[in-house]
Amino acid sequence: MINHFVPKNLKEALTILNKHDCYIMNGGTDLMVQKHVSTGLLPKFDKDVLYINNLKELDYIKKDEEGIHIGASTRYVEIENSPLIPNIYKRVIKEIASPNIRNMATISGNIANASPAGDTLVPLVLNDAEVVLTSANGERKMKVDEFVYGVRKIHREKNELISEIVLKPQELSYFYRKVGSRKAESITKVSFLGGVKIENKVIKDFRVSFGSVAIKTVRNREIENKYIGRNINELDINEVINDYAPLVTPITDQRSNKEYRHKVAMNLLKKFVMDIKEGGINE
Amino acid sequence: MKISFILNKKNVEVDVSPSMRLLDVVRDVLGLTGTKEGCGEGECGACTVLVNDEPYNSCLTPIINVANKEVMTIEGFRETKSYRIIADAFASQGGSQCGFCTPGMILATYAVLKKNPHPSEEEARLALSGNLCRCTGYQAIVDAVMLAAKKGIEL
Ligand SMILES: Cc1cc2nc3c(=O)[nH]c(=O)nc-3n(C[C@H](O)[C@H](O)[C@H](O)COP(=O)(O)OP(=O)(O)OC[C@H]3O[C@@H](n4cnc5c(N)ncnc54)[C@H](O)[C@@H]3O)c2cc1C
Ligand code: FES
Ligand code: FES
Repeated sequence: MINHFVPKNLKEALTILNKHDCYIMNGGTDLMVQKHVSTGLLPKFDKDVLYINNLKELDYIKKDEEGIHIGASTRYVEIENSPLIPNIYKRVIKEIASPNIRNMATISGNIANASPAGDTLVPLVLNDAEVVLTSANGERKMKVDEFVYGVRKIHREKNELISEIVLKPQELSYFYRKVGSRKAESITKVSFLGGVKIENKVIKDFRVSFGSVAIKTVRNREIENKYIGRNINELDINEVINDYAPLVTPITDQRSNKEYRHKVAMNLLKKFVMDIKEGGINE
Repeated sequence: MKISFILNKKNVEVDVSPSMRLLDVVRDVLGLTGTKEGCGEGECGACTVLVNDEPYNSCLTPIINVANKEVMTIEGFRETKSYRIIADAFASQGGSQCGFCTPGMILATYAVLKKNPHPSEEEARLALSGNLCRCTGYQAIVDAVMLAAKKGIEL
Protein backbone atom coordinates (compact mmCIF):
# COMPACT_ATOMS: atom_id res chain seq x y z
CA MET A 1 0.00 0.00 0.00
CA ILE A 2 1.15 3.50 -0.81
CA ASN A 3 1.13 6.00 2.06
CA HIS A 4 0.50 9.70 1.56
CA PHE A 5 2.16 11.72 4.32
CA VAL A 6 1.09 15.29 5.05
CA PRO A 7 3.46 16.53 7.76
CA LYS A 8 2.52 19.49 9.94
CA ASN A 9 6.05 20.78 10.22
CA LEU A 10 9.59 20.15 9.04
CA LYS A 11 10.52 17.99 12.02
CA GLU A 12 7.64 15.63 11.31
CA ALA A 13 8.60 15.53 7.62
CA LEU A 14 12.16 14.52 8.49
CA THR A 15 10.98 11.84 10.92
CA ILE A 16 8.82 10.34 8.17
CA LEU A 17 11.70 10.45 5.67
CA ASN A 18 13.91 8.62 8.15
CA LYS A 19 11.52 5.65 8.07
CA HIS A 20 10.04 5.72 4.56
CA ASP A 21 11.43 6.03 1.06
CA CYS A 22 9.21 8.76 -0.39
CA TYR A 23 8.56 10.85 -3.45
CA ILE A 24 8.72 14.45 -2.34
CA MET A 25 5.82 16.49 -3.70
CA ASN A 26 6.44 20.19 -3.88
CA GLY A 27 4.65 22.41 -6.42
CA GLY A 28 3.86 19.28 -8.42
CA THR A 29 4.52 20.77 -11.85
CA ASP A 30 6.97 18.01 -12.74
CA LEU A 31 5.83 15.17 -10.49
CA MET A 32 2.10 15.48 -11.28
CA VAL A 33 2.89 15.31 -15.00
CA GLN A 34 5.20 12.32 -14.55
CA LYS A 35 2.65 10.39 -12.43
CA HIS A 36 -0.47 11.40 -14.35
CA VAL A 37 -2.59 8.50 -15.63
CA SER A 38 -5.78 9.90 -17.09
CA THR A 39 -8.76 12.14 -16.40
CA GLY A 40 -10.55 11.29 -13.19
CA LEU A 41 -7.90 8.80 -12.04
CA LEU A 42 -5.48 9.43 -9.22
CA PRO A 43 -1.84 9.91 -10.16
CA LYS A 44 -0.04 6.60 -9.88
CA PHE A 45 2.84 6.33 -7.43
CA ASP A 46 4.98 3.25 -6.87
CA LYS A 47 6.16 4.37 -3.45
CA ASP A 48 5.05 6.64 -0.59
CA VAL A 49 4.58 10.36 -1.11
CA LEU A 50 5.53 13.19 1.25
CA TYR A 51 3.89 16.59 0.67
CA ILE A 52 6.06 19.58 1.62
CA ASN A 53 4.62 22.47 -0.38
CA ASN A 54 2.51 23.74 2.54
CA LEU A 55 5.34 23.82 5.09
CA LYS A 56 5.53 27.46 6.20
CA GLU A 57 8.98 26.85 7.68
CA LEU A 58 10.32 26.28 4.15
CA ASP A 59 8.71 29.39 2.63
CA TYR A 60 11.13 32.30 2.96
CA ILE A 61 13.76 34.46 1.29
CA LYS A 62 16.34 36.05 3.54
CA LYS A 63 19.80 37.51 3.26
CA ASP A 64 22.86 37.34 5.50
CA GLU A 65 26.64 37.48 5.07
CA GLU A 66 26.71 33.94 3.64
CA GLY A 67 24.27 34.69 0.83
CA ILE A 68 20.58 34.72 -0.03
CA HIS A 69 18.63 31.83 1.43
CA ILE A 70 15.56 30.56 -0.42
CA GLY A 71 13.36 28.05 1.41
CA ALA A 72 12.46 24.90 -0.51
CA SER A 73 8.75 25.60 -0.85
CA THR A 74 9.20 29.22 -1.98
CA ARG A 75 7.54 29.61 -5.39
CA TYR A 76 9.01 31.28 -8.48
CA VAL A 77 6.50 34.13 -8.22
CA GLU A 78 7.84 35.03 -4.78
CA ILE A 79 11.41 34.94 -6.07
CA GLU A 80 10.54 37.14 -9.07
CA ASN A 81 8.99 39.72 -6.73
CA SER A 82 11.62 39.78 -4.01
CA PRO A 83 14.00 42.76 -3.77
CA LEU A 84 16.65 40.44 -2.30
CA ILE A 85 17.10 38.33 -5.43
CA PRO A 86 19.87 39.22 -7.92
CA ASN A 87 18.53 40.30 -11.32
CA ILE A 88 20.13 37.46 -13.25
CA TYR A 89 17.91 34.94 -11.44
CA LYS A 90 14.82 37.02 -12.09
CA ARG A 91 15.67 37.19 -15.78
CA VAL A 92 16.03 33.43 -16.02
CA ILE A 93 12.87 32.74 -14.03
CA LYS A 94 10.74 35.18 -16.06
CA GLU A 95 11.41 32.99 -19.09
CA ILE A 96 10.31 29.77 -17.40
CA ALA A 97 6.94 28.28 -18.39
CA SER A 98 3.82 30.44 -17.93
CA PRO A 99 2.61 32.73 -15.14
CA ASN A 100 0.38 29.92 -13.79
CA ILE A 101 3.28 27.50 -13.50
CA ARG A 102 5.46 30.15 -11.88
CA ASN A 103 2.76 30.66 -9.26
CA MET A 104 3.04 26.98 -8.34
CA ALA A 105 6.55 25.72 -9.03
CA THR A 106 9.69 25.93 -6.90
CA ILE A 107 13.40 26.26 -7.54
CA SER A 108 14.13 23.27 -5.27
CA GLY A 109 11.83 21.19 -7.49
CA ASN A 110 13.71 22.39 -10.57
CA ILE A 111 17.04 21.34 -9.03
CA ALA A 112 15.85 17.97 -7.69
CA ASN A 113 14.14 17.14 -10.97
CA ALA A 114 17.63 17.34 -12.51
CA SER A 115 16.53 17.72 -16.11
CA PRO A 116 19.29 18.81 -18.51
CA ALA A 117 16.76 21.46 -19.59
CA GLY A 118 16.22 22.78 -16.03
CA ASP A 119 16.57 26.50 -16.56
CA THR A 120 17.56 27.62 -13.06
CA LEU A 121 20.50 25.20 -13.03
CA VAL A 122 22.37 27.41 -15.50
CA PRO A 123 22.65 30.49 -13.23
CA LEU A 124 22.87 28.36 -10.08
CA VAL A 125 25.89 26.50 -11.43
CA LEU A 126 27.56 29.59 -12.86
CA ASN A 127 27.20 31.53 -9.61
CA ASP A 128 28.31 28.71 -7.26
CA ALA A 129 24.94 28.40 -5.53
CA GLU A 130 24.50 25.65 -2.92
CA VAL A 131 21.74 23.37 -1.75
CA VAL A 132 21.21 22.59 1.90
CA LEU A 133 20.22 18.96 2.46
CA THR A 134 18.49 18.28 5.73
CA SER A 135 17.66 15.00 7.45
CA ALA A 136 16.69 13.98 10.98
CA ASN A 137 20.42 13.59 11.62
CA GLY A 138 21.48 17.09 10.61
CA GLU A 139 22.30 19.05 7.51
CA ARG A 140 24.99 19.35 4.87
CA LYS A 141 25.71 21.71 2.02
CA MET A 142 26.73 21.02 -1.52
CA LYS A 143 27.30 23.06 -4.65
CA VAL A 144 24.40 22.68 -7.09
CA ASP A 145 27.01 21.79 -9.72
CA GLU A 146 28.02 18.68 -7.71
CA PHE A 147 24.58 17.86 -6.37
CA VAL A 148 23.18 17.27 -9.87
CA TYR A 149 25.43 14.71 -11.55
CA GLY A 150 23.39 13.41 -14.49
CA VAL A 151 19.97 13.15 -16.10
CA ARG A 152 17.58 12.90 -13.12
CA LYS A 153 20.57 12.03 -10.92
CA ILE A 154 21.16 13.86 -7.64
CA HIS A 155 23.23 13.19 -4.53
CA ARG A 156 20.25 12.99 -2.19
CA GLU A 157 20.08 10.31 0.47
CA LYS A 158 16.64 8.76 0.99
CA ASN A 159 16.20 10.43 4.36
CA GLU A 160 17.07 13.91 3.10
CA LEU A 161 15.23 16.76 1.51
CA ILE A 162 16.47 20.02 0.07
CA SER A 163 15.55 22.51 2.78
CA GLU A 164 17.01 25.59 1.15
CA ILE A 165 19.09 27.02 -1.67
CA VAL A 166 21.84 29.52 -0.96
CA LEU A 167 22.59 32.03 -3.70
CA LYS A 168 26.02 33.63 -3.73
CA PRO A 169 25.79 37.05 -5.37
CA GLN A 170 28.70 37.70 -7.74
CA GLU A 171 30.09 40.89 -9.22
CA LEU A 172 29.57 39.89 -12.83
CA SER A 173 27.98 41.29 -15.94
CA TYR A 174 25.84 38.67 -17.63
CA PHE A 175 24.77 37.61 -21.10
CA TYR A 176 21.80 35.17 -21.03
CA ARG A 177 19.88 33.59 -23.89
CA LYS A 178 17.31 30.81 -23.83
CA VAL A 179 16.37 29.25 -27.13
CA GLY A 180 13.06 27.36 -27.17
CA SER A 181 10.10 27.08 -29.49
CA ARG A 182 6.98 28.56 -27.95
CA LYS A 183 6.89 30.85 -24.98
CA ALA A 184 4.80 28.97 -22.44
CA GLU A 185 5.86 25.39 -22.96
CA SER A 186 9.28 26.16 -24.27
CA ILE A 187 11.34 23.33 -22.91
CA THR A 188 14.76 24.74 -23.52
CA LYS A 189 16.64 23.58 -26.61
CA VAL A 190 19.77 25.45 -25.68
CA SER A 191 20.50 28.00 -23.02
CA PHE A 192 23.63 30.02 -22.49
CA LEU A 193 24.88 32.15 -19.65
CA GLY A 194 28.15 34.04 -19.69
CA GLY A 195 29.40 36.11 -16.76
CA VAL A 196 32.39 38.41 -16.87
CA LYS A 197 34.14 41.08 -14.84
CA ILE A 198 36.51 43.44 -16.62
CA GLU A 199 38.72 46.14 -15.13
CA ASN A 200 40.86 48.36 -17.36
CA LYS A 201 40.46 45.91 -20.23
CA VAL A 202 41.72 43.03 -18.09
CA ILE A 203 39.46 40.05 -17.45
CA LYS A 204 39.10 39.61 -13.68
CA ASP A 205 36.44 36.90 -13.80
CA PHE A 206 35.16 34.80 -16.68
CA ARG A 207 32.47 32.11 -16.49
CA VAL A 208 30.35 30.22 -18.96
CA SER A 209 27.51 27.72 -18.53
CA PHE A 210 25.31 25.93 -21.06
CA GLY A 211 21.96 24.21 -20.45
CA SER A 212 20.32 21.41 -22.47
CA VAL A 213 23.49 20.51 -24.35
CA ALA A 214 24.82 17.64 -22.22
CA ILE A 215 23.65 15.29 -19.46
CA LYS A 216 24.04 18.14 -17.00
CA THR A 217 24.71 21.87 -17.02
CA VAL A 218 28.13 22.49 -18.56
CA ARG A 219 30.69 24.56 -16.71
CA ASN A 220 34.47 24.15 -16.80
CA ARG A 221 36.70 25.98 -14.36
CA GLU A 222 39.93 25.02 -16.07
CA ILE A 223 38.93 26.82 -19.24
CA GLU A 224 37.63 29.78 -17.27
CA ASN A 225 40.92 30.16 -15.37
CA LYS A 226 42.82 30.22 -18.60
CA TYR A 227 41.12 33.47 -19.59
CA ILE A 228 41.25 35.22 -16.23
CA GLY A 229 43.98 37.86 -16.30
CA ARG A 230 43.91 38.29 -20.10
CA ASN A 231 43.57 41.60 -21.79
CA ILE A 232 40.35 41.67 -23.82
CA ASN A 233 42.37 42.58 -26.92
CA GLU A 234 44.17 39.24 -26.63
CA LEU A 235 40.99 37.25 -26.30
CA ASP A 236 40.77 35.03 -29.38
CA ILE A 237 37.24 34.02 -30.33
CA ASN A 238 38.31 30.82 -32.08
CA GLU A 239 40.41 29.74 -29.14
CA VAL A 240 37.39 30.06 -26.82
CA ILE A 241 35.14 28.22 -29.27
CA ASN A 242 37.67 25.39 -29.64
CA ASP A 243 37.94 25.06 -25.85
CA TYR A 244 34.21 24.70 -25.35
CA ALA A 245 33.19 22.83 -28.51
CA PRO A 246 34.08 19.34 -27.18
CA LEU A 247 32.09 19.91 -23.94
CA VAL A 248 28.91 20.70 -25.79
CA THR A 249 27.50 17.26 -26.60
CA PRO A 250 23.79 17.66 -27.23
CA ILE A 251 21.48 14.86 -28.29
CA THR A 252 18.85 14.73 -30.98
CA ASP A 253 15.29 14.47 -29.66
CA GLN A 254 11.81 15.45 -30.80
CA ARG A 255 12.53 19.07 -29.98
CA SER A 256 15.67 19.58 -31.98
CA ASN A 257 18.69 17.89 -33.52
CA LYS A 258 22.19 17.82 -32.13
CA GLU A 259 23.88 19.69 -34.99
CA TYR A 260 21.45 22.58 -34.61
CA ARG A 261 21.93 22.69 -30.85
CA HIS A 262 25.70 22.64 -31.12
CA LYS A 263 25.66 25.43 -33.68
CA VAL A 264 23.35 27.62 -31.60
CA ALA A 265 25.42 27.06 -28.46
CA MET A 266 28.61 28.03 -30.25
CA ASN A 267 27.00 31.10 -31.82
CA LEU A 268 25.86 32.32 -28.41
CA LEU A 269 29.35 31.80 -27.01
CA LYS A 270 30.79 33.70 -29.94
CA LYS A 271 28.40 36.59 -29.37
CA PHE A 272 29.39 36.69 -25.70
CA VAL A 273 33.11 36.83 -26.50
CA MET A 274 32.58 39.42 -29.22
CA ASP A 275 30.63 41.61 -26.81
CA ILE A 276 33.46 41.33 -24.27
CA LYS A 277 35.99 42.41 -26.87
CA GLU A 278 33.84 45.36 -27.79
CA GLY A 279 33.49 46.21 -24.09
CA GLY A 280 29.77 45.74 -24.14
CA ILE A 281 28.33 43.20 -21.69
CA ASN A 282 25.75 45.09 -19.79
CA GLU A 283 22.64 43.18 -18.92
CA MET B 1 -8.11 12.11 4.12
CA LYS B 2 -10.32 15.07 5.10
CA ILE B 3 -9.11 18.27 3.45
CA SER B 4 -10.76 21.68 3.85
CA PHE B 5 -10.44 24.76 1.74
CA ILE B 6 -12.52 27.73 0.68
CA LEU B 7 -14.23 27.34 -2.67
CA ASN B 8 -15.93 30.37 -4.17
CA LYS B 9 -16.11 32.02 -0.75
CA LYS B 10 -17.65 28.99 1.00
CA ASN B 11 -15.90 26.51 3.29
CA VAL B 12 -15.80 23.02 1.86
CA GLU B 13 -14.41 19.74 3.10
CA VAL B 14 -13.64 16.77 0.88
CA ASP B 15 -12.54 13.29 1.84
CA VAL B 16 -10.10 12.29 -0.90
CA SER B 17 -6.47 11.33 -1.49
CA PRO B 18 -4.13 14.33 -1.02
CA SER B 19 -2.78 13.49 -4.49
CA MET B 20 -6.11 14.03 -6.26
CA ARG B 21 -5.89 16.82 -8.82
CA LEU B 22 -7.71 20.00 -7.82
CA LEU B 23 -9.32 19.79 -11.28
CA ASP B 24 -10.92 16.41 -10.48
CA VAL B 25 -12.02 17.55 -7.04
CA VAL B 26 -13.76 20.59 -8.48
CA ARG B 27 -15.38 18.81 -11.43
CA ASP B 28 -16.08 15.29 -10.20
CA VAL B 29 -16.34 15.57 -6.42
CA LEU B 30 -17.96 19.00 -6.21
CA GLY B 31 -19.76 19.00 -9.58
CA LEU B 32 -18.53 22.37 -10.86
CA THR B 33 -17.80 21.77 -14.53
CA GLY B 34 -16.91 25.33 -15.62
CA THR B 35 -13.23 24.47 -15.16
CA LYS B 36 -12.08 22.57 -18.26
CA GLU B 37 -9.45 19.97 -18.94
CA GLY B 38 -7.52 20.38 -22.17
CA CYS B 39 -4.08 18.86 -22.09
CA GLY B 40 -3.86 17.62 -18.50
CA GLU B 41 -0.15 18.51 -18.58
CA GLY B 42 0.09 22.17 -17.69
CA GLU B 43 0.36 23.47 -21.22
CA CYS B 44 -3.04 24.84 -22.20
CA GLY B 45 -4.48 26.77 -19.24
CA ALA B 46 -8.07 25.53 -19.78
CA CYS B 47 -8.04 24.31 -16.17
CA THR B 48 -7.03 27.69 -14.69
CA VAL B 49 -8.50 28.55 -11.27
CA LEU B 50 -7.49 31.23 -8.79
CA VAL B 51 -5.71 30.15 -5.61
CA ASN B 52 -5.39 32.99 -3.10
CA ASP B 53 -6.16 35.22 -6.09
CA GLU B 54 -3.31 33.86 -8.26
CA PRO B 55 -3.93 31.67 -11.33
CA TYR B 56 -2.94 27.99 -11.00
CA ASN B 57 -3.26 25.08 -13.41
CA SER B 58 -5.66 22.86 -11.47
CA CYS B 59 -4.59 19.81 -13.52
CA LEU B 60 -1.16 19.88 -11.85
CA THR B 61 -2.25 20.86 -8.35
CA PRO B 62 -2.53 18.05 -5.82
CA ILE B 63 -5.54 18.99 -3.70
CA ILE B 64 -3.48 19.07 -0.50
CA ASN B 65 -1.51 22.03 -1.89
CA VAL B 66 -4.62 24.22 -1.56
CA ALA B 67 -5.63 23.03 1.93
CA ASN B 68 -6.99 26.01 3.88
CA LYS B 69 -6.48 28.31 0.91
CA GLU B 70 -9.05 30.24 -1.14
CA VAL B 71 -9.93 28.70 -4.46
CA MET B 72 -12.08 30.54 -6.99
CA THR B 73 -13.42 28.87 -10.11
CA ILE B 74 -15.26 30.55 -12.96
CA GLU B 75 -18.57 29.78 -11.17
CA GLY B 76 -17.51 31.93 -8.22
CA PHE B 77 -15.86 34.56 -10.36
CA ARG B 78 -19.15 35.04 -12.25
CA GLU B 79 -20.54 36.75 -9.17
CA THR B 80 -17.95 39.53 -9.28
CA LYS B 81 -18.09 42.91 -11.04
CA SER B 82 -14.74 42.22 -12.70
CA TYR B 83 -16.31 39.22 -14.39
CA ARG B 84 -19.02 41.33 -16.03
CA ILE B 85 -16.49 43.76 -17.46
CA ILE B 86 -14.16 41.04 -18.76
CA ALA B 87 -16.96 38.84 -20.11
CA ASP B 88 -18.56 41.80 -21.92
CA ALA B 89 -15.20 42.67 -23.45
CA PHE B 90 -14.76 39.07 -24.67
CA ALA B 91 -18.28 39.10 -26.13
CA SER B 92 -17.91 42.42 -27.93
CA GLN B 93 -14.45 41.63 -29.37
CA GLY B 94 -15.29 38.07 -30.43
CA GLY B 95 -12.77 36.71 -27.91
CA SER B 96 -14.77 33.53 -27.42
CA GLN B 97 -15.91 31.09 -30.11
CA CYS B 98 -16.34 27.47 -29.01
CA GLY B 99 -15.79 28.67 -25.45
CA PHE B 100 -13.63 25.82 -24.21
CA CYS B 101 -10.67 28.06 -23.36
CA THR B 102 -12.85 30.93 -22.15
CA PRO B 103 -13.14 30.22 -18.41
CA GLY B 104 -9.35 29.97 -18.24
CA MET B 105 -8.85 33.03 -20.45
CA ILE B 106 -11.20 35.12 -18.31
CA LEU B 107 -9.42 34.19 -15.09
CA ALA B 108 -6.03 34.77 -16.72
CA THR B 109 -7.23 38.18 -17.92
CA TYR B 110 -8.29 39.06 -14.40
CA ALA B 111 -4.87 37.97 -13.11
CA VAL B 112 -3.00 40.15 -15.64
CA LEU B 113 -5.09 43.23 -15.01
CA LYS B 114 -4.78 42.84 -11.27
CA LYS B 115 -0.98 42.90 -11.53
CA ASN B 116 -0.78 45.39 -14.35
CA PRO B 117 -4.00 47.40 -14.91
CA HIS B 118 -2.74 48.92 -18.18
CA PRO B 119 -0.67 46.30 -19.98
CA SER B 120 0.78 46.86 -23.44
CA GLU B 121 -0.40 44.38 -26.08
CA GLU B 122 2.93 42.63 -25.78
CA GLU B 123 2.57 42.32 -22.00
CA ALA B 124 -0.97 41.02 -22.39
CA ARG B 125 0.21 38.37 -24.85
CA LEU B 126 3.01 37.28 -22.54
CA ALA B 127 0.68 37.09 -19.57
CA LEU B 128 -1.74 34.88 -21.53
CA SER B 129 1.03 32.77 -23.05
CA GLY B 130 0.06 29.75 -20.92
CA ASN B 131 -3.52 29.76 -22.24
CA LEU B 132 -4.13 28.18 -25.62
CA CYS B 133 -7.08 28.81 -27.90
CA ARG B 134 -7.78 26.77 -31.02
CA CYS B 135 -10.47 29.04 -32.44
CA THR B 136 -9.85 32.76 -32.26
CA GLY B 137 -6.26 33.17 -33.41
CA TYR B 138 -5.65 35.21 -30.22
CA GLN B 139 -5.97 38.73 -31.65
CA ALA B 140 -9.62 38.98 -30.59
CA ILE B 141 -8.65 37.80 -27.10
CA VAL B 142 -5.88 40.38 -26.82
CA ASP B 143 -8.35 43.03 -28.02
CA ALA B 144 -10.74 41.92 -25.29
CA VAL B 145 -8.02 42.24 -22.64
CA MET B 146 -7.13 45.73 -23.88
CA LEU B 147 -10.79 46.76 -23.83
CA ALA B 148 -11.30 45.39 -20.31
CA ALA B 149 -8.18 47.29 -19.25
CA LYS B 150 -9.62 50.49 -20.73
CA LYS B 151 -12.90 50.02 -18.88
CA GLY B 152 -10.99 49.16 -15.73
CA ILE B 153 -11.82 46.03 -13.76
CA GLU B 154 -12.98 46.46 -10.21
CA LEU B 155 -10.82 44.76 -7.62
C1 LIG C 1 3.92 23.44 -19.02
C2 LIG C 1 5.23 23.37 -18.30
C3 LIG C 1 6.27 24.20 -18.68
C4 LIG C 1 7.51 24.13 -18.03
N1 LIG C 1 8.49 24.98 -18.43
C5 LIG C 1 9.70 24.91 -17.83
C6 LIG C 1 10.75 25.77 -18.26
O1 LIG C 1 10.58 26.62 -19.14
N2 LIG C 1 11.96 25.64 -17.65
C7 LIG C 1 12.18 24.74 -16.65
O2 LIG C 1 13.29 24.67 -16.14
N3 LIG C 1 11.19 23.92 -16.21
C8 LIG C 1 9.96 23.98 -16.79
N4 LIG C 1 8.96 23.14 -16.36
C9 LIG C 1 9.23 22.14 -15.31
C10 LIG C 1 8.84 22.52 -13.86
O3 LIG C 1 7.83 23.49 -13.82
C11 LIG C 1 10.04 23.00 -13.04
O4 LIG C 1 11.04 22.01 -13.05
C12 LIG C 1 9.67 23.35 -11.60
O5 LIG C 1 10.67 24.18 -11.05
C13 LIG C 1 9.46 22.15 -10.67
O6 LIG C 1 9.13 22.61 -9.37
P1 LIG C 1 7.93 21.94 -8.53
O7 LIG C 1 7.95 22.57 -7.17
O8 LIG C 1 6.66 22.01 -9.26
O9 LIG C 1 8.46 20.44 -8.47
P2 LIG C 1 7.74 19.04 -8.17
O10 LIG C 1 7.03 18.57 -9.37
O11 LIG C 1 6.97 19.10 -6.91
O12 LIG C 1 9.04 18.15 -7.94
C14 LIG C 1 9.98 17.93 -8.98
C15 LIG C 1 11.02 16.91 -8.52
O13 LIG C 1 11.82 17.42 -7.47
C16 LIG C 1 11.68 16.66 -6.28
N5 LIG C 1 11.65 17.65 -5.19
C17 LIG C 1 10.87 18.77 -5.13
N6 LIG C 1 11.18 19.50 -4.04
C18 LIG C 1 12.16 18.83 -3.40
C19 LIG C 1 12.90 19.09 -2.19
N7 LIG C 1 12.68 20.19 -1.46
N8 LIG C 1 13.85 18.19 -1.82
C20 LIG C 1 14.09 17.08 -2.58
N9 LIG C 1 13.43 16.78 -3.71
C21 LIG C 1 12.46 17.65 -4.11
C22 LIG C 1 10.42 15.88 -6.46
O14 LIG C 1 10.45 14.69 -5.73
C23 LIG C 1 10.42 15.63 -7.96
O15 LIG C 1 11.27 14.58 -8.29
C24 LIG C 1 7.70 23.20 -16.98
C25 LIG C 1 6.65 22.38 -16.58
C26 LIG C 1 5.42 22.44 -17.23
C27 LIG C 1 4.31 21.54 -16.79
S1 FES D 1 -5.61 21.01 -18.64
FE1 FES D 1 -4.39 22.01 -17.21
S2 FES D 1 -3.09 23.17 -18.41
FE2 FES D 1 -4.15 22.00 -19.90
S1 FES E 1 -12.71 29.78 -28.26
FE1 FES E 1 -12.42 27.72 -28.84
S2 FES E 1 -10.57 27.24 -27.87
FE2 FES E 1 -10.69 29.34 -27.56
